[in-house]
Amino acid sequence: MNKLAMGRDFDIGALHFASVTDASRLIQTGALSPIELVETFLARIDAVDGELHSYITVLAERARAAAKLADAEIKAGRWKGPLHGIPFAVKDNYHVTGVPTTGGSRLMADYVADDTSTIVGRLAQAGAILLGKLNTWEYGTGNGHVYHDLPYEVARNPWDLRRFTGGSSTGAGASVAAGTAMFALGSDTGGSIRLPAAACGLQGFKATFGRVSRAGCIPNCWSLDHTGALCWTVEDSAIVLQTIAGYDSRDPSSARTEVPDYRQSLHQGVRGLVIGVVSDFGPEGSALDAANAVAIERAAKVLEGRGAIIRDVTLPAPLTQYRDAARIINWAESFSIHEQDFLARNHLMGQALREKMMSGFMVRAVDYIAALRLRKALAKATDALVRSCDALLLANAFHVAPRFDEPDSVPLFTSETASSVFNITGHPALSICTGFDGGGLPLNAQIVGRYFDEATVLKVAQAFESATPWRDRRPDL
Amino acid sequence: MTEIPATSLSEIEAYARRHGLTNLTPEHLSRLAELADKVAALGRSLPRMPSKEDEPAHSFRVPQP
Repeated sequence: MNKLAMGRDFDIGALHFASVTDASRLIQTGALSPIELVETFLARIDAVDGELHSYITVLAERARAAAKLADAEIKAGRWKGPLHGIPFAVKDNYHVTGVPTTGGSRLMADYVADDTSTIVGRLAQAGAILLGKLNTWEYGTGNGHVYHDLPYEVARNPWDLRRFTGGSSTGAGASVAAGTAMFALGSDTGGSIRLPAAACGLQGFKATFGRVSRAGCIPNCWSLDHTGALCWTVEDSAIVLQTIAGYDSRDPSSARTEVPDYRQSLHQGVRGLVIGVVSDFGPEGSALDAANAVAIERAAKVLEGRGAIIRDVTLPAPLTQYRDAARIINWAESFSIHEQDFLARNHLMGQALREKMMSGFMVRAVDYIAALRLRKALAKATDALVRSCDALLLANAFHVAPRFDEPDSVPLFTSETASSVFNITGHPALSICTGFDGGGLPLNAQIVGRYFDEATVLKVAQAFESATPWRDRRPDL
Repeated sequence: MTEIPATSLSEIEAYARRHGLTNLTPEHLSRLAELADKVAALGRSLPRMPSKEDEPAHSFRVPQP
């Protein structure tokens, strides 16, 4: 038995469910070897991924070699920090030198990357160990439907294998929930980090636009794309963000803004913080599951009980305005990225991507510019709301993970959300697990902060997480 | 307001060909026609800003000295 720092006893067989925070403390003290940890995850992948399909490529030998190196470094007194020896995986739209990037697409079937994405490189520098490349919607995008027509089996939700993981970072959501990766990188253009986090009961963080480099991640829509991590705990999210955040000259949108110490303020609590709760979304709000709505009310009460000042607020515009602007921008930019493939090789595309390209093919320039203007106005008005509080608490995915055998409900999981609001505005937004519904499926909300104030977002989320029991439950897989 | 007629198959085929898209199956062309109407409607629904000086967000910047 290993005694983990949180005070729980873990059978070594359940190490795959340890948090980054706990495993890292064990590694630092020498109670756990990166070799043992990596072998635990490779065994877990062997045991469950045949039905889970979280991975497209498992890099077992590469991971073993990295673990051996990390073990030697740590034993020699060269511990690099809390990610040293920690196994992780990345959505298969991140490039890693010498490793295939498939983008989940037939179009990239034979592609081997000759460069490494900036944030994967930063994680490697910090000593984290790459286990492999994770399942994804084709090019991390689509029309919301899952047609089961891609060259890789669809990832399954560990809480119920008959259900969707949320998209597009499907394997990232599945892997962290199922314990086939300790944390995972995803990408988020309209919610693709936060929605799999919601469906799979995780914490998924899309930081401020410009905070985390997108260089070396296949673009989907330049002006809405964000990169970030899906983790089991808020503290894990802080640890990973600390490593991946910061200016990168390879990303033209990267911000030259100082990165604070996220863990320093993490446990300071929420006493006196003003948290605006958005509970009225107008007519679109009627789609919000009752269980999610109740869980958000309870979350607000938990934070109030911890000393936060709760204030009812409303978004400055209907959700449809954010969603419509996002759709036009996304279709146009995405089509610009994939135009040549669409014209020449659309027969290799899955239906979801092909239909999105068809939409992009039809967008007029004047409508794209109208959407950019609308975006600017929405961002300004929303920022005024965000700045009137310390953080916002509101719905993210309106529904719990839908079943694949009810295909009409699958696209609603990604369309009936408040996720794209913060791709449009660029504010930091963290999806948190707010409990479970009567069927044992994860519920969710998002915490949103001021531009570049990820520290407050994490602090609020930590206050909620530490006051609730939701991190004690794991999928029975 | 006059109702806008749906895009016909011949219209969409000609438009597609004009812009280099020549390899869609008949089924995909039908779908393209349906999506064309939806995309046009969504584009028309976006509010137009009142001022001609209201420059949209854009990505072009010259390098900082």
